[in-house]
Formats: sequence, structure tokens, C-alpha cells
Amino acid sequence: MTESATGEFLDVRRLLEQSEPRAPVRWFGYAAGFLLLMVVLGALGSGGGGALVQLVAMVGMAGLIVAMGVVTWSAARIMRAEQEQMQAVEELIQLRRWSEAGLMLDHMLSRPARSAVMRVQMLLCLAAVLGRYHRYGDAIAVYDHLLGLEFEDEQSVHGLRLGRAMSLLHDERLYDADRAINELRRGPGAGESGGLALVEIYRDVKTGHPEDAIATFGEKLAAMRKQLGQRVADAYGLVARAHDLLGQQAEAQQAYESATLLAPEAELSRRYGEVAALAGRYRAAEAPGEET
Amino acid sequence: MISAEAAIARLRRDLAVVLGLKLALVGVVVLAGAADLLLEQPVIRPSLALAAAGVVWIYLSYRSVAGTRLVAMSPALIASGRYEQAERQIEEALRTFSLFRIVKLRSVYHLAALRQAQGRFAEAAALCRAVLARPLRGAAELERSARLTLAGALLELEDARGAYEALLGLYRHRLPLGQALELLALQTDYLARIEAWEQMVEGLGRKVELTELMPAVAGMRTQALLGLAARKAGRPRWAEYLRRRVELLGEAQELIAWRGAIGQLWAG
Repeated sequence: MTESATGEFLDVRRLLEQSEPRAPVRWFGYAAGFLLLMVVLGALGSGGGGALVQLVAMVGMAGLIVAMGVVTWSAARIMRAEQEQMQAVEELIQLRRWSEAGLMLDHMLSRPARSAVMRVQMLLCLAAVLGRYHRYGDAIAVYDHLLGLEFEDEQSVHGLRLGRAMSLLHDERLYDADRAINELRRGPGAGESGGLALVEIYRDVKTGHPEDAIATFGEKLAAMRKQLGQRVADAYGLVARAHDLLGQQAEAQQAYESATLLAPEAELSRRYGEVAALAGRYRAAEAPGEET
Repeated sequence: MISAEAAIARLRRDLAVVLGLKLALVGVVVLAGAADLLLEQPVIRPSLALAAAGVVWIYLSYRSVAGTRLVAMSPALIASGRYEQAERQIEEALRTFSLFRIVKLRSVYHLAALRQAQGRFAEAAALCRAVLARPLRGAAELERSARLTLAGALLELEDARGAYEALLGLYRHRLPLGQALELLALQTDYLARIEAWEQMVEGLGRKVELTELMPAVAGMRTQALLGLAARKAGRPRWAEYLRRRVELLGEAQELIAWRGAIGQLWAG
């Protein structure tokens, strides 16, 4: 899966250019102008110009009303189809069917988006898929583009910054990641952010500060549970690595077992190379068989 | 803050007004054509009457777009816990004229979803019923959402029978993943209330995988109920596995405060 019909698979620069929405056609103005024309024609026709002109005016006006109904219905249908496509992509990502999600996104972003909102949703999904393929540099480019759109909604901005900071860490751009995390800390609601806590734990594990990672985990576990749900497994996995770095094998085993109780070992290893290093050295939890 | 009764009364009135308006516009077009054919000198020039109808139609369509935009913004506000802002958007959407009945019905449904999130379950149920009482041709997604919210509200009101009837209507639909997960959570809750433990543990492995895709609280609660069912149905390894998971995801005391029976997962 390396090339689409138009070039490299998920070529970010190309997709960002091609997905820019076109300026909307102000059809209300055209409709009003056409209506005015029909009114004038009708007036001219009644002055002796003949029944034909009047008939044309009446048919034109009736046609305009019908056309507007058809255009509205058609636009709603196209919008619904696009929303269904978007929903399908989000489901594929949730179900971890990454290649199919990537193919759909490549296709959808290769043409102008109908609306800016739809485009933002697609780009968010694109960033997630790029992360899955470990194309962190490309994911950062998408996040930078989205942050450049200057959302008013603080929660959206916070989410984007978290994604960007995590991608910077994965991409080993530790200085930039540290700056991004400090910026997040200054933002509103930083103290209660479970996502920020996870990013900080990952940074501390990566930069060789396991005690800090463990301390953050203890302080922010409640917030992470509430906000991350099942993904709190990532925090447990990283803390297992932190304990391992400190030579605390019993604690590392307990944390690793907790992590693998919540998420498959293979998935945790794919997400974090630091956690992959623990596989085989610590025992993973196992789910019971269907019949037990 | 708009009450459920006021919102439902507003819905009925607005739908009647829109229907009357559409009939009046069609009537003008038909009468203008008939007058032109039958009368030598009609009182009002047919072309003018048609032009007036056209202008009114264009203007009302333009106004309706604003209502559509307002309605689209509420779900994100509710999901992020910004209830006051969502309330303001929904009230404005209810006040705004719209030619499209689905927009009005959707506004009322979003008010139901907001009341559900606020824990005002009786109002949520009344609003969902008002939406489901209307024909929802071409609005299958709205019907599904209303049924799910209604079932959730009725379960909180301890009306298991009503919740069952609301859920029944969903089985003829093909659900997107998000709604399928919501249905799984509601089904599990319902079956736990009627103590249908054997039914709950059918396909247990697959159900547990699906709970991992749910939002945090719903996933934890559903796994706790499945763990209880596993214990009751004599599947101790699953009960132990789910109990350990639930302990990692949240506080046992909060779960027991929500549903006392879950405490049996830790008994003995």
C-alpha cells in the first residue's frame, strides 16, 4: 500500500491542497435575479407583448420554485452521503482497520471538501492513520495545518496540541515536544487533563526521568481513567517501563499485567517501542477462553 | 430554560404553521394558474402572485438554513459537557423558523439528549416520545437516536418494560458502530435488571471486545455488569477477569453507588 492512482499513498501536501473547499456558489442571488427577470417579463407580456411572454414568465417562476426544491434536496442528499462516508472512516479507525481507512481518506481528501467542518474531521482522521503507520512527521504537518486554522473552541485546540505533542515524542523531537508540553501546561484546564498527563509520562520515560513518570501517574490516575477510558492501558504500560528502568521488577510486572489486562500486548508494543522492550521479560495478562 | 412541555407545544405549533405555509404557497401557484386560464381579467395578475410566492419561498428557505446550522452544533456541545451553551443553541434553534420539519424534530431530540445528560430522565423520555410520535420517513437516523435515548431514560426511571419496547424498534435498523455500542450497553443494563444472566454471557468475549470501544463510563459499567453476569452464570474466570479490569478503569464505590447489585462482583 504505497501508491494511490494519483501518487504516493496519503501524500499529505497533495491532500491538503486538493481538499481545500471551493468558494460556495451564491445561488440565492442567482435565484433572486432570475425571479426578478421573470417578473419583468410578466409585466411586459401583460402590456400587449402577448400571452406567450406571460406564459414564459409563469413557467419560469414555477420552474424556479421546483428547481430550488430539487437543488435543496440534492444538496441534502450529497451532504448525507458524505457524512456517511465520514462515519465509515471513523468506524474503520475505531475498529483498527487502518489500511481501509487510509484508502477512503486518500480518496475523500483528493477532491475539494464540501465544507470546512467536514475537511477538519477528515484531516483529524488522517493524522490518526498516519500515526498508525508511524509517519509522525506527516502527522505533525497535519496537526500544524489544523492549528493554523485557529479554532475558537479551546477543547479542540487542546486535543490538537496533545496529538501534536505525542507525535513529536514518537518522532524523537524531544526539544520541540517539551516546548509543546509546556505550552499545553499553560492552557486552560491543563491540571485536569488526562491526555496531558499521558503525554508527560511518555516524555519522562523517553527522557530518562522514570521517577517523574511514576509520580505523575499516581497524581493523575483518576483523571486519566475518567478521560482515557480503556486507553489508560497506555499509562500503565509506560509506568511499567519506568519501574523497569529503576530496576523495580515486581512493580514493573504488576503495571505490565495491568496494561495487558486492558489492551492487547501486541497493540501496546506497536504504539510504544519503549513498552515493546518489556515483551517477553514480563508476563502479560490473558483473557479467558470463550468457553470458560 | 425551556421545559419539555413548552418545547413539545412549540414543536406542534411550528409543524402546523410550516404545513399551512407550504399548502398556502402551493395554493397560490395553483390558483394563479387557474385564474389565468379561466378569468379574462383576474383580480391579481397571476405572474405577480407567482413572483410573490417565489420570493416568499426563497426567503423562507434562506431563513431555514440558519436553523439547520444551529441544530448541527448542539451534539458537540453536549458531548463536551457545555450544557448551558448547548441549551442556548437549542432554544435558539427551536425559536428559529424552518421550512424543514426534520430540523425542528432534530432540535427537540437534541433537547432530549441534553436533558438525559443532565439526569432529567422524565423530561428526556417525554421529548423522545414527542419526536417518535411523528412520521419519520427519511429520518431513520433520528428515529434510532430517539429510541436509544428513550430506552436509556426509561431504564433510569426503572421502566424496564418501556425500555424494552423502545429497543425493539431498533432491531429492524442497521446500526452504525456508535449506536450499536450504545445498544449493547442498554441491552446489558436491561438484561441485568431482569436478571437474564445466561443471555448476558452469550458471546461474552466479543461483547467485552466491543466494550473497549465505548466511552469511558459506559465501557466500565457494561464490563461490570457482564462480570456480574459471569459470576451468576457460573463462569468464575470471566468474572475475575472483568472484576480486575473494572478495578483498573475506575472506582468500585462509584459503580456500586450507580447499581448496588454490582457489589456482588466483590462479594466472597
